[in-house]
This record gives sequence, C-alpha cells and structure tokens, in this order.
Amino acid sequence: MGEMARFYGRFLTGLILALVAFWFLALILMPQISMIQRAFHYEARDGAAAQAVLEANRLQQRVATMNFDIRALEREVAAGVSGAAPAAPSPSNPFAGLPSPGAPRPGLPTPGLTPSPGGASAEAPEARLERLRAERDGLTETIAESRATAQRLRAEEAAAQGWSLRNFTLMSPLHWRIFGLTLVYALCVTALSFLVCYPIAYAAAQAKTPRRTALLLLALTIPYALNELLRIFAWTMILANQGLLNHALDALGIIDLSQGGAIRWLASNGSVFLVMVYTYMLFMVFPIYGSLETLDRNQIEAARDLGASSWRIHWRVALPHARPGVAVGAIMTFMLAVGSLSVPQLVGPGLHPDWFSQIVNRNFFESNSWNVGSAQALLLLVSCTIFIFLVMRVFRVGIREIAR
Amino acid sequence: MQGQEVALERLGMRFGEFTAVEPTDLTIKAGEFFSILGPSGCGKTTILRMVSGFQSPSEGRVLIGGQDMTALPPNKRPTALIFQTLALFPLMTIWENVAFGLEAQGVPKARRRKRAEELLDLVALGGQEDKRPSQLSGGQRQRVAVARALAVEPAVLLLDEPLSALDLKLRQHMRAELKTIQRRTGVTFIYITHDQGEALAMSDRVAVMRAGRVEQVGPTEEIYNRPATSFAATFVGENNLFRGRTAGAEGGLVEVETPFGLLRGQNADSLGSGEEAMLFIRPERLAPARPEHDLRLRAQVERADLEGPFFNLHLRAGDQRILLQLPNEGATPPEGEMELGFSSRDARVLRAGALAHG
Repeated sequence: MGEMARFYGRFLTGLILALVAFWFLALILMPQISMIQRAFHYEARDGAAAQAVLEANRLQQRVATMNFDIRALEREVAAGVSGAAPAAPSPSNPFAGLPSPGAPRPGLPTPGLTPSPGGASAEAPEARLERLRAERDGLTETIAESRATAQRLRAEEAAAQGWSLRNFTLMSPLHWRIFGLTLVYALCVTALSFLVCYPIAYAAAQAKTPRRTALLLLALTIPYALNELLRIFAWTMILANQGLLNHALDALGIIDLSQGGAIRWLASNGSVFLVMVYTYMLFMVFPIYGSLETLDRNQIEAARDLGASSWRIHWRVALPHARPGVAVGAIMTFMLAVGSLSVPQLVGPGLHPDWFSQIVNRNFFESNSWNVGSAQALLLLVSCTIFIFLVMRVFRVGIREIAR
Repeated sequence: MQGQEVALERLGMRFGEFTAVEPTDLTIKAGEFFSILGPSGCGKTTILRMVSGFQSPSEGRVLIGGQDMTALPPNKRPTALIFQTLALFPLMTIWENVAFGLEAQGVPKARRRKRAEELLDLVALGGQEDKRPSQLSGGQRQRVAVARALAVEPAVLLLDEPLSALDLKLRQHMRAELKTIQRRTGVTFIYITHDQGEALAMSDRVAVMRAGRVEQVGPTEEIYNRPATSFAATFVGENNLFRGRTAGAEGGLVEVETPFGLLRGQNADSLGSGEEAMLFIRPERLAPARPEHDLRLRAQVERADLEGPFFNLHLRAGDQRILLQLPNEGATPPEGEMELGFSSRDARVLRAGALAHG
C-alpha cells in the first residue's frame, strides 16, 4: 500500500483504491447478495399482495390510456377556441390533431375505455374533458390505495415467510431435468471445443516460424472482430432451411429444395453445439496456446527420438504440459456455454427442451418472477463453482497456475 | 548393447544460400568415443541432427552399421540423442523418464521399472527413482538424460554439448563419468562440443570443424601435437604464432623468414619457398634458452600469471606477443628481458590461413 502511494502519488492511489472498492462492492458483491437474498425469498404469485399489485398495474394502464384521450381532447379544445375548421375531427378520432385531412371515420374503433358515441359527439368536448379528468383523478387515488395495500400485505407476507427454499422446491421436475441436461450439454460443448482447439493451439504454438504462428492466430482472431450476435446470425444464415448449407447441398444434387427436401439443421442440439464451439473457440485456443508455447520443443524431439508415436507424445508430454491451459479453457468455455442465452435462443428456436439459461431469462423478463429467476441463476452459479473445483482437481492445477 | 559404425558419405546441408555443412566424408568406428569440435555455427549440431534423423540432408547419405538410414525418421534409427537442454520430462518421475523409451515400445510396467532401476544404478543414481527432475542437481539430471537415452539400447549415442550448463568442477567430474559409461556400455558416442578441453579429455578421436567443413580428423594426441591447419592449431589449446614467408625447405623442416630472423619448424604442409606461412610453437615447448635449443628469441616479460602447477608468462617482442608456460618450481618467475629458446622439432609450420580467434 505504502509502496503504491509512493509510486502513483496519494491522490491516484486513493482513486484507484476507491474504484476497486466500488467495483468489488457495487458491481460484484451487492448484486450477488441481492440475488442470493431473492433466491431464498418466496414470492407468492397468487397471494393477496400479488393480486393487489396486479390490480394496481391494471388500473395504471387505464390511467395511461385516459391520459392519452385527455391530451387529444385538450388539443381539440385548443383548436376549437382558435376558430379552426368547423369540420373538426371527431374527439374520438384517433388521428385528431394529426395533419391528416378528410372526414371522420365512423368505422374505426374508438380508443380508450370511456364509451363514446361514434360520429358527432353528443357531449361538448369541454364537458367531456372535465369528466375524464375527474375520473382519472379518482382512479389515481384508487391506485395509490391499492399500492399501499399491496405494500402492507407484502410486508406482512415477508414477515410471515422469511427465508424459504420454496423457490427451489417448487421448481417443476421438467425444469430440473432441463437444468441437468443443460449441464450435460455445456460439458459436451466444452469437450468438443477442446477436441477442436487443442490441435489448433498445438499447431500455432509449435509452428516452425513465428510468421506462421502470427498468421494462424490472426486467422483465428479476425472472425472475432464481428459482434457475437452477428456471428451467431451468420450461422443461422448458413443453417436455415433456405440457408446457404441447404442451397449448397441442393446445388450438389444431394437434396432437392424444390421438392421440400430441406434438411432441418437449426433447432437441433447439434447445431447449438456447433455454433457455441465456434463462438467460444478463442477462449479455449488461447489458454492452451499460452501453455503449449512454453513447452520446450526439445522435449517433443526427445520423446520422438525415444521412439514415441505422435499419440504418445501428446498424451505423455504435450498434454500434461498444457494442463493449466486446458483447465482455464475448459472453465471459461463451460461457464460461457452454461450461461449462453443468445446461441440457444437464435440457433435453436423451437428447440425442446430449452436450455436452462432461457428459462432463467423468461423468469426474469417475461413472467417477472425475479425471485424464481434468482434461485435458478444461483443454481447455475453453484454448478459453475463446483465445475471449477472439479477441473482443478482433475487437472491437478492450483489456483496460482490458473491465474497465470 | 553393441556400438555400431557410423559413416557419412558426402553428407551436406544447405539452407537456401547458406551452406551449413559442406559435403563431408567421415567414418566413426563402432564403440568409439568420437568428438566433433568447433566454434558455434560451424555445422557440428547440423551433422548431429542429420545423424539422429531430425534433419534430412540436402545431399549425401548416413550409414549406421553399414545400413543406409538417410530416409528413416529419428524413432526408426538405432540412435539416441542427448539434448543440450537435456529435455527431461519435468512432470514424470525419474524412473518414468528413464523408462519412457521402453514405454513407447510397449514393455510392461514392472519390467520397465526394473530396467530403469538397473540403468539408474549404472549412472550412480540408485534410490532416486521416484523423485522428479526438478529435485535433482544439474549433474544428476545429466546422468538421468544419459540413462534415458541408454534405455532404448541405442547403437549410437549422440550428445549435443550436454555438459555446457554445468559448472567447471562438475563438468570435469562428468567427463570422467561419461567416459566410464561409454567404456562400460561399448556404445558408439558422438559428442558435440566447442570445448577443446572436453574433446581432448574424453575422446578417442576428434574432428575439428570450421565453417561447415571438417579441417582435421584424428586421435586426440595428433590433433593437439600435429594440427593440420592454422585453425586447428589455434582452436585446440594455446599456441604461439609467428607469421612469415618460407625461405627454404629440406629434410622435413622449413625455414621461415620472420621479423625475429630465420625460424625453423616441421614442414607440415609441404611448403616450398617464398610462401606465406605460419609457425606455431606451443607455450609449454617454449622455455628460457637452454643449450639444446636451436632457435632463440629475446623478449620482454610483461606479466606472470600463476596457474598453480605452472606460470603463464606473457612476453612481448616488438608487436609480437608470446606466451610461455614455465613450471612452478618454487622460484619467483623471471622479470625484464629474457632469452627464450625452442627446438625446431617442436615447432610446426603451416600454410597461412584462418585462425580461431580473429
């Protein structure tokens, strides 16, 4: 610490420490704690509090629509006062205020919940405006009331329930199955990725000239200049029913697209695996490359000189040396695969069962059940942590080697 | 284990424009300790890699035991290579290292282990089987590398400056050790080094190389006492050099006109008269003038360095530096001007050519 202050000066040191503290507390610790807290708090979706919230939300939506009507009327009244056209658009005309000309369109449904007779209004706009405003204010009060009720009920429910495991125990067997399958899938992706990346990393690390290494690595890196989503979309272009691959097969006469002979590549685990391996390849290649680069070429030559086959050289000399790199690559690929949302979403539409990440996503952003989502996300977090320790045990590498 | 003969026939290696090894004929006898001596970049390692099979020659053939091996990969040749870096497998135990070649041959584990223990006994490392290379000293690692290479029962063991990483004392000890192992196993050793002391101490015969070309091949005494080229004369051991022009040759001797008058020496290059020549005389053959010396010089003592059993007397005569080894007999070394002498039998006159140090 003192050394740092000497090196950077007191102000910079303070700034760095503050940023680190902020990063650690606000960006890592707090969200994690909040997630864990949510995971262990069951939120009754059918309880009175939830009902009150639902009711309040429904009313809120009505108020929003009324506000829209009120604004339209206000504009209409203002236009009437300034003595505009006598053929002013009907108050219920959704295009009122727009520069669109023409007669009112009686056939169109009227917006808003307030019933209004079509065509010419029986009620004067000013009076109508008055009535709407009053109604809105009434609703706003009701909303405030039901929100307060909801809050009170929530507090009561929370006090009554406290910590609970219900978010986990209430998970359906199907979801548990998907969870298990997703872990297996991610392991498959990791294993496939290793099989693809090890030869590449070996070739790059043991290339005869530095130029060849540079070329290989450049070729690997260039596709990564594209955004991840674009890379995935590129694959959907290739794998789609009317995509490049089927067209190529059609051109080769293997299938006949005009007869509906398209092969369904998408929406299969195979294509999800393929795209994931491709998308996360660098995370496997570079760590392995890094550790193989430090392998003394003489060791390979010595093994060959002693009569070892290529297979044995890899198994006994190169792979053991690359252990830390393989461990890091496996951990990164596994974590990315297990949590990947975009790949199964884009490549596997209609794929059943889904990946677990999709279910977590739905809980958070579609069913609005953050607590259940948190519980499921926590499951992923725990399984990733277990995976890390397993890998470290299997590859006999310490945290120090991994950090390197 | 039985050593085999290695024969190079017009063996050469070119890398693009650069000639690493000029076409070379060389025969290394079965069971011989043969050194290839030369400065770095002279092509000696390239020869070794061509014999082991890691490098395909651009011309010529390699024969081992009379069989053409030129097209065979390293693992199909009866050779084993000991690398300069040793290249032990750091993640395997000592015995696994030694038995790796047997593992590759599919020998069962129990027999591998037994054989590894025998070999480790041979190199005086019994009891270290289960350690890892990083737990051994430099000299011990060295011997593990030898044991590992011997495990595949090679007919020819190739050693690429394996002692260069060791300190002086250990190096001297390992020289004796390697020589003993070679005698005990009867394997042909081809030893690459730039250290002339190593080459002379261990080898039966030595090849001196310069710039891709073998300059001289012969037993160690011949290399030291009767160097064939000016390079060999200066690369192997210390030598005093007098440049001049030959004046006349007769009866195996040749006279050289030098700034110090007419000197005489063995005519090793069949020189005629009027040729550019170099006269070499070893520092230990120079001495304060005695009656039996037929050649004399006067020189000024600049410095006397005590080397233990002898003094290195640095003298100067005009521009000429002279080194003289004077046995340490308890007296203080001479100072000031002195008269030196040597016998023309001990001097060697060669055609002027390249020297080892500029």
